Amino acid sequence: MALGGGYFKTTYDGDLALVDTRLRRVTLAALVVLLLVLPRLASPFALDLVTQVALAAVGALALNILTGFAGQVSLGHAGFIAAGAFTTAVLVEHRLPSPLLALPGAALVGAALGVVVGIPALRLKGLYLALGTLALHHVVLYVCGEFQNHWGANTGVSIPPPRLGAWVLKGTTAWYYALTAVAAIVLILSVNLQRSRAGRAWMAIRDREIAAESVGIDVARYKVLAFVWSSALTAVAGALFAYQRAFVSVEAFGFFLAIEYIAMIIIGGLGSSLGAVLGAAFVTLLPYGIDAAVAGLRVPGGAEYYLFPVKFGAFGLLMAVFLVFEPQGLVGIWRRIRNWFSLWPLRYRPLRRAS
Amino acid sequence: MTQVLATTVVVASLYALLAAGYVLVYRATRVLNLAQGDMMTLGGYFLFLGATSVPGAPALSVAAAIVLSALAGFVIYRVLLRPMAGHPIFAAVLVTVTLGILLRAAIVLVYTDRIRHPLPLLGLANPPRRLPGGAVVSTFDLLTVGVAALLFVALFAFLRLSPLGIQMRAAGEKALLAAQRGINFQLLFALSWALAGFAGALAGMLYASNVRLDPSLGVLGLKAFAVALVGGLDSLGGVIPGALIVAAVEVLSVRYGDPLLADVSPFLCLLAMLLVRPWGLFGTKEELERV
Amino acid sequence: MKSGLALLAALLAIAAGASPALAQYRIGMSAAITGPASSTYAPTYEAYKVYFKRVNDAGGINGQKVEIAYEDDRGEPQRAAANAKKLSEGSILLVNASTSATYKPFMTESETERIPLMFGGGVCPREAFPPANALIFCSTSFGSKWDSRFALGFIKEQAGGRKVKVGFAAQDIPLSRIELEFAEQHAKEMGLETIPVVVVPGSTPDFTPFAQKLKDAGADWVLSWALWHVEVGVFEALQRIGWQGSYLLYGHQQTQDELARLKAPGLHAFGGNTLFMENLPIHAEITSLVKGQTTHPAHYMSEGWVSAMVLEAALKKCGWPCPKDKLATAMSGVSVDTRGLRGGPIEWTADNHYRKSTYYKVYRWDAAKGGIVPVGGWTRLEIK
Repeated sequence: MALGGGYFKTTYDGDLALVDTRLRRVTLAALVVLLLVLPRLASPFALDLVTQVALAAVGALALNILTGFAGQVSLGHAGFIAAGAFTTAVLVEHRLPSPLLALPGAALVGAALGVVVGIPALRLKGLYLALGTLALHHVVLYVCGEFQNHWGANTGVSIPPPRLGAWVLKGTTAWYYALTAVAAIVLILSVNLQRSRAGRAWMAIRDREIAAESVGIDVARYKVLAFVWSSALTAVAGALFAYQRAFVSVEAFGFFLAIEYIAMIIIGGLGSSLGAVLGAAFVTLLPYGIDAAVAGLRVPGGAEYYLFPVKFGAFGLLMAVFLVFEPQGLVGIWRRIRNWFSLWPLRYRPLRRAS
Repeated sequence: MTQVLATTVVVASLYALLAAGYVLVYRATRVLNLAQGDMMTLGGYFLFLGATSVPGAPALSVAAAIVLSALAGFVIYRVLLRPMAGHPIFAAVLVTVTLGILLRAAIVLVYTDRIRHPLPLLGLANPPRRLPGGAVVSTFDLLTVGVAALLFVALFAFLRLSPLGIQMRAAGEKALLAAQRGINFQLLFALSWALAGFAGALAGMLYASNVRLDPSLGVLGLKAFAVALVGGLDSLGGVIPGALIVAAVEVLSVRYGDPLLADVSPFLCLLAMLLVRPWGLFGTKEELERV
Repeated sequence: MKSGLALLAALLAIAAGASPALAQYRIGMSAAITGPASSTYAPTYEAYKVYFKRVNDAGGINGQKVEIAYEDDRGEPQRAAANAKKLSEGSILLVNASTSATYKPFMTESETERIPLMFGGGVCPREAFPPANALIFCSTSFGSKWDSRFALGFIKEQAGGRKVKVGFAAQDIPLSRIELEFAEQHAKEMGLETIPVVVVPGSTPDFTPFAQKLKDAGADWVLSWALWHVEVGVFEALQRIGWQGSYLLYGHQQTQDELARLKAPGLHAFGGNTLFMENLPIHAEITSLVKGQTTHPAHYMSEGWVSAMVLEAALKKCGWPCPKDKLATAMSGVSVDTRGLRGGPIEWTADNHYRKSTYYKVYRWDAAKGGIVPVGGWTRLEIK
């Protein structure tokens, strides 16, 4: 976004570029370098945290496409993740554990599910859509549970580490690189979707559906498209989830998982790709932060009985705080900080002249 | 056969008590209170609190639980929901989800996950009773049906006949116009939340006495909102047929079908209703816009 | 936006985790400390804490302290999988005191890392029975097939010569289902009339429909073998609908409290642990030791205490240093006197990681006496 004094572009390519100013190019390069050498700097525990954040970010970005860009409220996110994870489980049970099969397979299953959910969802708006997706979440989980009962004897399915030819993906560092790369790809995808025709259509539908329709946007098509994109990416996240955890069991995909992802995009900032990533980091790291705080405060014995409800409650509390006080989320805070720096010593952004 | 009927009516009564809470809140504030199940659990734990503090005094414990739950509903509206005015509906619904999380965390923090039984502490028993026709239900099953019936009669009377109830309906329908007539609609909204807390407490106390009390009872609330939706989110009258339908589907699927299907069947009803008639059997057809 | 990400990454990079210091006997335990199953499994965790604190205070074993890392899995397989990976690093033994749903990831981890795995609170898996898996051990008082064999023998004995119809209430977890299907088969072979197994989802709020199925089929006896809340939930539902038969369930840690709460004459609880109401010297010892240190009362501690005793004996036998393969061999020859907590000793051999003989006792509430009474004495079954 242009700030303050204005940046003057001289070519169309320059205008379209994702990274347009020199400061941004330098920052991006520094970021890439940092991510590449992180395994040398950080402990395995910290590296594992970053890997978890990357995996969560994929799911959060996918949900952001549906709810943030297109404004379609969905409470069934956990169902899509479960669909992706169980696609992997089904393939593993049929002795086809290769990720080259599982990831596209999961994406296909997700896309199909997106169509199945998206078409009836055209009739529903707002609250009813949320309820419908919630009901569908339970149906998907029931199907997955029946599969688990039948194949995995109800104790879940063990997933072997993914192998590509002779190379096996094992170990914290390898997973870190793999998942960070995937998260980066999905992030670029998300940002480009936002700037594309589909993205603009979605945002129009989100803001004023009737106006969007009157302008000539095919609302039905784009709504279903949003569902398809979102659930395909989510299912891929689910497949990655299955590989990384090396174990798939239906109870891990309860309603609370959907709430976690919604919290990620709300706390991060609805409608923003950066927000989805920041929210994913925040929600993923919160339990560890509480662990550290409890350990630091040296709470007397019995802490392990309180840790779970405290983490659970803290999550709920923070989500409520963000919903009530900071609807723009972490991105809103970040933008305020950034504006403060970029506008200093001035306080207010100059008004744009009507052109 | 009569047993199936009896079980259906009992299950339907419990769902009706919960769904009444959903409808009351929705009619007033247009918010779907996804924490209703957890408010029910809270009511059950308030009863347990009373039973452990003053054992053997059921009237006192019940009264305390009712008062505390209603108060909780009031406070919840004031602290969590009122600041959400002006926010999109989705945000308000999410706030109720976080409320559910907070309630559950608080309960586990104080009482852990252990299963509790308030009934012996209250000094009451729950013997089985034989009904004409051969069905056997427990005393508290009958009590649940009775309380649900009484609650609905009382609510109908209150909302239709009493001045406060009519004001509440007016505030729910058009808050702005009601305010211009001098109705303090904020107070009435808070009152409707208190009533929802009250209905939830009734459900919680009955369930805790009849079956058991543990922090995960909130899942019943999710099933009950399928009932509310089938009947119509803003129709109290619709709750009764909605509850009977959903309960019947659930009981029959356990009896004659796959027991694991029992958990999903309310949601299948919900989905079917959403596809056919989203506003439920007796609800008012409406577009959902920002508050 | 890029600068936002850079800042985030920098902050993450600064966070450094501490690596654990090299310590003595390192053992990893995953238990359902919180969560719906916690009343059955958390006492094992507490018993371990108290027991090994005493051991360490007295100087440890073979001069080395015992360091146990505890993780909470809430009875959920996904968390257990994460715990298994976390705990296996550097440990010579993994202990699982959680629901059977958590077994698979632990067994997989034990297999891949060649770490011995002991089940100290949950039902003993098939791999501990002869012919035993080299790495799987089990100290828990209940185990598949033998429990049913005893239970059905007890029912037949209680029936005298009369014809009785036996119903079975299982939970929808594989071990419970498989066990009761075996029980149904075995009952038929013993000449008892049976009703097909009724499977109950663990999270169901209302047990009435399932109880109804059992009552309608005319069950005189119902055998249940599952997590406590399902076992007792079906019984309470049966009582609510006016069923007059007798119920036999496996008695977990809550037995003593629950028998006293329900005061039901038809309810029988069988198990391998002696109830504290018998007031043996070991019970008094445990009660005084755990005073003020545990959230669960002393009479929940039997299971965990026996498991800790077995572990102590195994570590003593292993000596020092004790790498994981040496421990596995040592455990295959352990013999522990349970001092009355069980009906007899726990003896493991290379082939049998359950025990050479297992002992069962039945308890019920006696209204006349106003207390819990044993029904007969110990029944011994030899494990072959």
